[in-house]
Order: sequence, then structure tokens, then C-alpha cells
Amino acid sequence: MSFFRIKKNVYPLFAIVASIAIIVYALVMAKRASCSYFLIGAYFWIMIFGCFRSCLRMLPIYIIVGGLFSALFYLATGVASSALTMANRFGGIFLAVAIGMSVESVTMTRNLSQLRCPRSVTLGMLIATSFTTVLRTEINRVRESMKTRGAGSILNPKIFYRAFLIPFVTRLVKISDTLALSVETRGFALGKVEYTVYKKENIAFSDILFLVGIIVGGTLAVVL
Amino acid sequence: MKAVELKQVSFSYDGEKKVLDNVDFFAEYGEITLISGASGQGKSTLSSIICGIIPNVNEGVLNGSVLVDGEEMQGKRLGTICRKVGIVLQNADEQIVHKIVEDEIAFGCENLAFAPDDISSKINEVCKLMNIDPKWKTRSLSGGQKQRLITASTLAMGQKIVILDEPLANLDKEGSELLMSILRSLCEKGYCIIISEHRLDMIMPYADKVWHMEKGKIKQIEDAFSYLSGQSKQIDDVCPRFISKDYAFRLENVGFSVKDRKILDDVTVAIPKSGRVVLLGENGCGKTTLLRLISRLYKPTKGRITQNIDERFGQKNKGSRKWFKSVGIVYQNPDYQLFMPTVRAEIEFGAQSKEYAQCVMERFSLAHLADRHPHSLSEGQKRRVSIAAVLASRPQVLILDEPTVGQDYEGLKSLVDILNSEHIDSGNTMITVTHDVRCAKALCDIAVVIKDGKVASIGGKDKVDEFFSLSKD
Repeated sequence: MSFFRIKKNVYPLFAIVASIAIIVYALVMAKRASCSYFLIGAYFWIMIFGCFRSCLRMLPIYIIVGGLFSALFYLATGVASSALTMANRFGGIFLAVAIGMSVESVTMTRNLSQLRCPRSVTLGMLIATSFTTVLRTEINRVRESMKTRGAGSILNPKIFYRAFLIPFVTRLVKISDTLALSVETRGFALGKVEYTVYKKENIAFSDILFLVGIIVGGTLAVVL
Repeated sequence: MKAVELKQVSFSYDGEKKVLDNVDFFAEYGEITLISGASGQGKSTLSSIICGIIPNVNEGVLNGSVLVDGEEMQGKRLGTICRKVGIVLQNADEQIVHKIVEDEIAFGCENLAFAPDDISSKINEVCKLMNIDPKWKTRSLSGGQKQRLITASTLAMGQKIVILDEPLANLDKEGSELLMSILRSLCEKGYCIIISEHRLDMIMPYADKVWHMEKGKIKQIEDAFSYLSGQSKQIDDVCPRFISKDYAFRLENVGFSVKDRKILDDVTVAIPKSGRVVLLGENGCGKTTLLRLISRLYKPTKGRITQNIDERFGQKNKGSRKWFKSVGIVYQNPDYQLFMPTVRAEIEFGAQSKEYAQCVMERFSLAHLADRHPHSLSEGQKRRVSIAAVLASRPQVLILDEPTVGQDYEGLKSLVDILNSEHIDSGNTMITVTHDVRCAKALCDIAVVIKDGKVASIGGKDKVDEFFSLSKD
């Protein structure tokens, strides 16, 4: 019965496919009004399937960025349809990002591991997603140290190189070295090595419904 | 049966200079084996050889016999060795890959192809042992919890031989004792625990065998108690008795919150001018935040901080370039603060004069390293350079966040002596955060104990004794 269970998140691989489908539809049909209807429908559709928070988070960013570019294009061309085209293109991209944001990196990694995707790719993805926080913290710490040692402005190329870039790169190299060593000593190896997946991702009925909904919606927007 | 045995092992990174020279060493199941010695004597190299990092990851010329559980390990791949020997590296924070504790622990088990049900039971077992919750978010863990998580993640892989490289470096007394008692209980279950550590005062009650490393040679210490107690003594304070006249900072009902989380609340304390204040407290109690508020890196969300260093700086909590020339900050990690091409240039940067920079370099025994790049130095040397560089600008206030982490006993003594003699010469105000019982009293005129973001008590050197003995209980 697990096939019919209520799931919190979309099956990761379907999330990737849905994101790509939305981008393709939005880019191909950007000039049509039906594209806007499709994107609005897709927005509410993906909200139902576990992307509620990410959709709400992306909305204000879309309004600002999409609105800005649409306004710029309208001012440049004087034609309302070019503003609509831009709004649709950005809408597609932001919707795809919203779906991506709602998928946990660990579930995505496990799903790809299950499908025998090379481990260098899956671990790389996992580390890359967790590294954004590390990067932000390191940048803040180096900038703060520059301030406390009176190194001067970061806009000066010489100071940027010496007081920012050198300590920053040194830290990143150190962190990467430690991480690589830790991962290897915890049994990670590339090549044909046997491994298991702790929590397997399984397809549920809701996942199929989610993907079919996106594809049918997009197709209808093209046909009608 | 011996868990680990090294026979006539020699190692050299470049094929010429021997880091280990004909070393004979063993560790047994059911015991905690301590490897002690000054920085740079080969302790980490020895650990790396046992767990297969050398020669599988770090290359070099390795001779002799390395037996693990009676089996020769020379020529075996890291993937094979790590099934027998687990290693917990330094800097737990930098090793966490996953967002949730259970995923992090599962990582090693997945790599060793454990069945999902086995992984689940391993996770529950080690989480219970290490006193952590499998559902916790890894980024919100304290330093001590992260250290326990990385240890748990290693233990879940099921090795009976576990090596820990400076596991207590960033832990407070309570966290250290918890970790050590867990390791003790593992020994009782038949594990072989090998620890490389500088904080011998913490290890003393737990170590079964002690080995001393020096210049690539290792010898077993027969009288472990005398050896350990000799290197765990409290350092004497050489500063004259301090009498408070005026204050440098006055904090009134100071609070600091991030979103809804209160980090500091209602902190009221006066930091005397030309005094030495030590901030004490458990990991995560708010000591570093308090340092950052005093040094104007953060602004209080509540209350008021008044400075009495110089009228020019005003009372607006804004840290200008001139402010940071008067308030020198030494970070826990020296990597952030070193950016000049040579040690000499690093110390001369911001120094009052080149002559004074030279004098500081000699005082810190760095003159022979003057032309080296700061990032090419050992951790202990880098720490000395970062402190020397800040002191060379003769700040009126010196703020030190865990300045003694990773220092061996001799290095610790010399660092405390330098800081105190500089304090006597310049009359600076010194504010230090430390977990190290050996040096806390020697750097203290006034001790401020912080608990759960509040000042729990203020006193003199007796407060240091009280704090550490209470922690011990």
C-alpha cells in the first residue's frame, strides 16, 4: 500500500523531470498568453505536492526580478507582449527552482545512488549543496579578520588578493583536504565498489499524478 | 591480543628526512592508549600509518611492519584498512556532509555496504552511546556535539580499533569528561582506543598506557601518573597583584539575540582598565559572543556597553579602523588573520616601528622564521605569529579567544609567559576565553563565569578554582 501513501516530498527524479519540462514549456511558449495560464496552474499544482514553502519563498523574488525585467523590456520595445514573454520565461525558471528547492539534497543523492549514478557525482552534489553555507561563513570570517587587522578596503585589488583571497583560499583548501580525508576514512571509494542506500526512495501514486499533471497541463497549453 | 603493533617502522615524506625512525609501538584491546609529545614530533604521522592514510592518501617512504589485529597492513588499500580501524580526525565541523545526524552516521555504513536494517540499528546504538539525537540538525550542534557526532559516525562502522586525533581540543571540561567516559565504556566492551592529545590533565584519569614521542622516536612511559601530572600542572602567574582603579568597559544589562534565540541576557559587568579578565563557561554559553560585543564586532540587541579607552571612539558601538588598532583581537583559528608574504612583514604590518616588530619577533622566538610564509608554518607557530602580529601594534585592549588550543605544555607555558610579560610592560587590558585549566589562573585577575547567557558569578583566581572543580564534580 506504500504506493498510495501520502508523501511529503516529490520523488526526486520526477522533480528533476518536472523542472526541465516546465522550463522547456515556458521558453518555447513564452510569447503565448496560454503559457501564463499554464504557469499559474503549475504554481498551484506543485504547491499541493509538497512544494508549498518553496513556492511562497520564490514568489516575492519572482515578482521583483520578473517584474523588473518585464518592465525593462516593455520600456525598451513599447510592446506589452514582450513584457509578457519575459514574465513567462522568468516564471518558468522560478517554478523550476521552487521544485528543486523542495527536494532535500540527501534524498536526491540517495535516489541517484539507487539508480547507479556514479558516486563521484552524487557525493559531489551533496558536498556542493552543503558547501554554500560553509562558503558564506568563511567569507564573513575572512572579511571580519581584515577589519580587525586594519587591512583596508576589499575594493583595492592588492588588498583583496593578500588579505582576502589568500586566507580564504587557504581555508577552503584546508576544509576540502579534511573533508576528503574524512570521507575516505569513512569507507568512501570511487569505482566499482559495493555500497548500499540507507533509505530508498520509492515512487508513489502521488508522484505519478504530479508529473502527469505538469505534462498534461503543458501539452494542453500548446494544443489549445 | 595486540590490536595494533608497529615493528621497526620508519617513515619519510621526501625519502630523506625521517619523521618516524625505527618505531616499535603497540596498543591492546580493552585499553585507552595515549600518544603524547610536543607538536611536530610525529604523532599524527603515526596515527595516519595505523589507519592507512599513509601511504594510501599521503605518499612517502614507509618501511617496517604494521600489524592490525594480527594482520599485516602494508600494501592493503584504505577501503580494507578502514573496515578494521576507524579514525576521528581533528576539526569535526569541517567533516560533516549531511544535514541530519542520522544521515551523517549512515554515510560510513552505506559505504561499507551494510544492510539498511543494520544501519538503522547501528544509528540507534551509537546515538544512545554518544548521547545525541538522530533527528538533530547537524548545523545547529555545539562543538562538543559535533565531535561526538563524528565519533559516532566512525563507531557505527563497527571497527574495534578507534584512533582519535586531538578530540578534546575545542571541548569544555564537561564535554571532555563526557567524551572520555564514553571512550572508557567502549574499552570495557573490548575496543582499542588510541588518543593523540595535548590536554593531558583531561586524559590523566582515563589513560591505561602512555607513550611519549620525540624526534620521530617513541617510548612507553612506565610511571604514567608522574609523567602526566608533570605536564598537567597549573602555570604560575608572574604578574603583580592587580588593583582596580578605573574601568575599560562597562556592560549594563547587555543582551544579544539572533531571531528568537537569546544568546546573552542581562549581562552586567565592568572590565577594569589594565586588568586581566578570564571568561569561563561551557561550550555555547555565550563567551565568544560577549567578546565580539566588547570588541564591537556585534551590536547588543539590548542594554548598553560603555568604553573608557579613548573619548575619540565614542559610545556608538561602531568599530572603526582606529578602534581595531586599539582593540586587538586574536581569533581561535590563526588562518584568517595571516595574509602577508613573510612572518616579518606580517608582524611589521600595523607595528609601531620596525624595531619594535623585531623585538616582538624575538620575544615570540620567531626570528628564525622571519622570511617564511606564515601559511607554511606549523599550527603552533601560526598561532604565535598571529598573536605577535596583533601585539606588535601595542593595542590597549587585547582580546584572546582560546589562544592555547592545540599547544603542547612547553608551548603553552611560553605563550602565557609572553602574554603576561607584555601585559606588565604595556599595561594593556587583557580579556581571554579559555577552557584550559592549566593556564586560566595564570591569565586572570578577575574571572567571569557565564552560564546560559548570563553572568553566573564574578570573582578572583578562586573563581577559576571553583569553576573547574565544580565542572569536575
